[in-house]
Amino acid sequence: MGVELFLRETAIGLRRNGMVAFGAMSTSFIALFLFGLSLLIGRQIDLFIEAYTGNVEVTVYLTDPVKAGTVERLTGILLPLPAVASVEHETKAEAYQRFLELFANQPSTIENTDPDAIPASLRVKLEDTSRYEEVTAALGCRTNESEEMVCAAAGVREVFDFSALLDRLSTITKGLSIGVLVLALLMLVAAIVLVANTLRMGMFARRKEIGIMRLVGATNWRIRVPFLIEGLVEALVGASFAVVVLLLGKVVFIDPMRESVQWLPLIRNADVLWVIPWILIAAVGIAVLAGTIGMRRFLDV
Amino acid sequence: MISLQHVSKTYPKNGVTALDDVSIEIGKGEFVFLVGPSGSGKSTSLRLLTREDDPTSGEVYVAGKNLSKLSTWSGVPKLRRNIGSVFQDFKLLQDKTVFQNVAFGLEVIGKPKHVIDTRVPEILEYVGLGSKLNNFPDELSGGEQQRVSIARACVNRPLVLLADEPTGNLDPNTSVDIMRLLDKVNKIGTTVVMATHDQAIVDAMRKRVIELDKGAVVRDQSRGVYS
Repeated sequence: MGVELFLRETAIGLRRNGMVAFGAMSTSFIALFLFGLSLLIGRQIDLFIEAYTGNVEVTVYLTDPVKAGTVERLTGILLPLPAVASVEHETKAEAYQRFLELFANQPSTIENTDPDAIPASLRVKLEDTSRYEEVTAALGCRTNESEEMVCAAAGVREVFDFSALLDRLSTITKGLSIGVLVLALLMLVAAIVLVANTLRMGMFARRKEIGIMRLVGATNWRIRVPFLIEGLVEALVGASFAVVVLLLGKVVFIDPMRESVQWLPLIRNADVLWVIPWILIAAVGIAVLAGTIGMRRFLDV
Repeated sequence: MISLQHVSKTYPKNGVTALDDVSIEIGKGEFVFLVGPSGSGKSTSLRLLTREDDPTSGEVYVAGKNLSKLSTWSGVPKLRRNIGSVFQDFKLLQDKTVFQNVAFGLEVIGKPKHVIDTRVPEILEYVGLGSKLNNFPDELSGGEQQRVSIARACVNRPLVLLADEPTGNLDPNTSVDIMRLLDKVNKIGTTVVMATHDQAIVDAMRKRVIELDKGAVVRDQSRGVYS
């Protein structure tokens, strides 16, 4: 049987159902847009955390000047700890360089900062951020009454623990991302119901054809496929608009910010492209679920 | 060709018993009238033959197949390709021409275009509508519309033709024409089962008559009359 026959029936169905099909497409569009948006927010958060911490969870600042052997001795203490993944030494020069990059758009801060004031450090990556206490314990650190961390190990000026900050940060940002995702899921459910509804209305409008098809021995598939294609077309049109709007949004809102917040890496085209397959999968999911729900019982032989 | 063995049908929704232990045998090439008052079980019998309904008990065989053993996804469609159905209300699609209405029946069972293009004009010629291929149903008389419907039922060369009150909407003269056509279809070997109220027709045709009353066979007579 001809493909063009299916396409012809699909086109007729979409036209006949104009407004309802439009509603289903718009809902699919909003749902898939929000879905893509939540994925991109998640991606942006990852980029932000990566840039802000360099994936370092604990920084051990060293007393100035650093005595010979201090780096090796402290590394020797930290590296064997099961919680520690790696230890990297950052010299004063390197630290200042990173500071310059971080505050590139705030020249006054740079001017007012003595290069000598930025200390050398050991940057510790953890296997498991929740076990950072192992590091502070190994260095004999404890928090005193004024909430400062005092360490017993020689050569350690201060231990700064990013994990608490990261925890707070990711609670906020994850909340945001989950909020958008929940909204997207609600919209996806609405999209499924609306697409299913258009299929139902289409089947009702064509109940006479369907009756004749059954009568002459058309298979269930032959009867259902045009409706499935109709649902798929509606979901995919929504998906295309979602992708286009996400790309446009990136160009219109994100790209102009690139100048002013150089210290923060923003999502790029590649990130938006990475979201497309997921949006398409979600669109196919809408169509399949809508087809299953919309055709249940209505079309059994 | 058709065999109902101790078939009963009760509709679960309203508890009505449409058929009560009915057994009927119809051979290949026979022409059979199903007669009886409204609600006697004529239409239910026809619906069982196309598996639109399942019997509550008993077995139905068509062309050697036990219908209860057919799968909905492939067995039932195959069965229906071997059965042509004609109704009182013609069931034509108003937005399609005569040709397209008949072609639709072949398209949806996947027949290729060249088969459609040869068989559809052929069958329309056979039912006497060779000159009305491009007319729409509302441009035809009732009798002509029923001919289109018969053409659609026969275009795939079925073994069995089921007709449910095919003359119910037609005047007596047109009814006679339709009966001649059904007789012609029967003469080429198609088994025809026709449910009807039309006494004049049954009496004129002198075919086998099976009379149903309250869901039971009360008479089965070869070369019979209406009552």
